Amino acid sequence: MQDRKSLFLMTPALAWLTAFMVVPCLLILTLAFFRRGVYGGIEYTFTLENLRLVIDPLYAWIFLKSAWIAGLAALIASVIGYAAAFAIAALPRRNQPLVLFFAILPFWSNYLVRTYAWIVLLNREGLIVGLARGLGYEGELPAMLYTETAVVIGLVYNYLPFVILACYAPLSRLNPEIAEASSDLGASGWTTFRRVILPMSFTGLATGFVFVFVLSIGNFVTPALLGGGQFQMVGNLVYAQFLTANDWPFGAAISMVLIAVMMLFLTLQTFVAERGSGGGLR
Amino acid sequence: MSAFLSVQDLEKRFGTQRAVDGVSLDIRQGEFFALLGASGSGKTTLLRMLAGFEAPSSGRVLLDGQDITALAPNRRPVNLMFQSYALFPHMTVAKNIAYGLEMERLARGEIAARVDEMLAKVQLAHLAGRKPDQLSGGQRQRVALARALVKRPKLLLLDEPLGALDKKLRSEMQLELKRIQHEFGITFIVVTHDQEEALVMADRIAILKDGSLLQCGTPREVYEQPLNRFAAEFIGVMNFIPLIRNGDSLTTMTGAPISTVAPVPNDVQLVAAVRPERLEIGPLRLDTSASESARPDNRLTGTITALAYHGLDLQLHIATDAAPIIARLTADQAESRDLGPGKTVTLSWKAADTKLFPA
Ligand SMILES: Nc1ncnc2c1ncn2[C@@H]1O[C@H](COP(=O)(O)OP(=O)(O)OP(=O)(O)O)[C@@H](O)[C@H]1O
Ligand SMILES: [Mg+2]
Repeated sequence: MQDRKSLFLMTPALAWLTAFMVVPCLLILTLAFFRRGVYGGIEYTFTLENLRLVIDPLYAWIFLKSAWIAGLAALIASVIGYAAAFAIAALPRRNQPLVLFFAILPFWSNYLVRTYAWIVLLNREGLIVGLARGLGYEGELPAMLYTETAVVIGLVYNYLPFVILACYAPLSRLNPEIAEASSDLGASGWTTFRRVILPMSFTGLATGFVFVFVLSIGNFVTPALLGGGQFQMVGNLVYAQFLTANDWPFGAAISMVLIAVMMLFLTLQTFVAERGSGGGLR
Repeated sequence: MSAFLSVQDLEKRFGTQRAVDGVSLDIRQGEFFALLGASGSGKTTLLRMLAGFEAPSSGRVLLDGQDITALAPNRRPVNLMFQSYALFPHMTVAKNIAYGLEMERLARGEIAARVDEMLAKVQLAHLAGRKPDQLSGGQRQRVALARALVKRPKLLLLDEPLGALDKKLRSEMQLELKRIQHEFGITFIVVTHDQEEALVMADRIAILKDGSLLQCGTPREVYEQPLNRFAAEFIGVMNFIPLIRNGDSLTTMTGAPISTVAPVPNDVQLVAAVRPERLEIGPLRLDTSASESARPDNRLTGTITALAYHGLDLQLHIATDAAPIIARLTADQAESRDLGPGKTVTLSWKAADTKLFPA
């Protein structure tokens, strides 16, 4: 009965997703199994060549590199975001919404604008260099823009609000008496954090990490703008196949593998969330 | 001899509100001490200061002669059982109980043995592998109790430890608490709403009101010699009769004389207080042949409005023109005298059983 009711309520959303998301995606993905036409376009003969090419060291390397950058961004964003959420949740309750609002405010501005802002900050005559010079530093400064570091910074910055929100939810609902009980039983602050607070908010952290990872690994705007085309991430590769190389089947094959990787992580995250759910939250 | 726990002029202000307002207490080693008070009277705040979670606005706490006022909670040989239980939701019952022992870095074997022993004591051995959200309220309460007890602290603070239990389990646990306290020689401070529980369990009782200590003494002292109207009202049932003062003599609002052996306070407004079990219930017609010496000191007439059974005992609600009165007698007595609603009776009691309080 309950099942039927929820199915009824979900129908519009499911129909929308199926019609405009699942079907088009499947159509594109099926292209992965066809040959590329000599002058672009698609030749409808079945082949596994495209998928084999993805595993080719040249492309597999781009995958690994993307995963590394996405992983690094997710890790840094998780640490910073968790700490921020922790600090916000420790504030007097009535101040929390406002601080949270400011923490995620940049999120409401345009993605491109935010990314361009980093170009202004990081470039050779940018604000950071200007600041260093202003403080009297005369020495050589490393290039900051158009590096891997810049891409990671851009990704972390863009997706940090996700992590803050994801971690704030369980942290703000944590009954402070549970942490007090731990200290009452003889635990130091660090032990209380490690054995009580972190496990009780781990689902939020995992959710934040996976979100940043998944969104980063497929991202092509930030690597293009802040990486300056110096190196490619998977997103750029897909972009290039569809829009410049005109090799839709290969682009579809890369997408397929990328989606598989994302699904794996999302499933993992759902699993963690399911296991971690339980009482003790206010 | 110096006290084991000495609370000296402890005060806690939240903004302008004094949650605890200058409380001083001396508690002996191995004592079972009950803190009694209405909701919001500052019981939890007082315990939290003893456990170290709330810094006192002023005053000191000495344990075993040592000033622990500024000591962190994890460094105090004191454990608190929280009113909300505050169990670790991600750990099993056994893990919850083991946590405090792991913090002491005891050997694995010893931890397991003490956890098992404790599980058996609180009758939870069969639920050792469950998580707290798979337990009933009463079971959670017992886990919280076990988790605090297993540490064998010098001083155990319990904030409403038996609140969620049904009557049967409650009286079982009351005895069990006393037994455990005796066995380990732990000093207990128990917060309770329930005056009956305090009377049953405690060696001494303190009554808190609006953050201040109204009275502190053995259950008998507090019951028999309440220091003020609030204490009298809070412990057991008490009848209050508003009085009018005519020079040295006291009468009810309707002019019936009230005699007492207690010294008369100087306050203008007074009430007389008498316990239900001190009242004699008789027929309306007085036995005028009784000699002068056997005549009761105080007498009122009234009409029975209700009977309330409490097992063997029976509470008689009587409307008099001086005040509504509750009397207590055995069910047999009530039956043999054919007492029932609507019947008019005489209430009498001795001057010695009459207390006087400022209204
Ligand atoms: N952190 C706090 N901030 C402000 N006021 C507080 C705080 N903690 C307690 N109070 C106030 O202090 C007073 C005493 O509270 P406390 O929790 O000690 O009462 P209690 O006797 O334990 O009541 P109960 O029987 O309902 O548990 C209450 O009026 C409460 O509102
Ligand atoms: Mg309380």
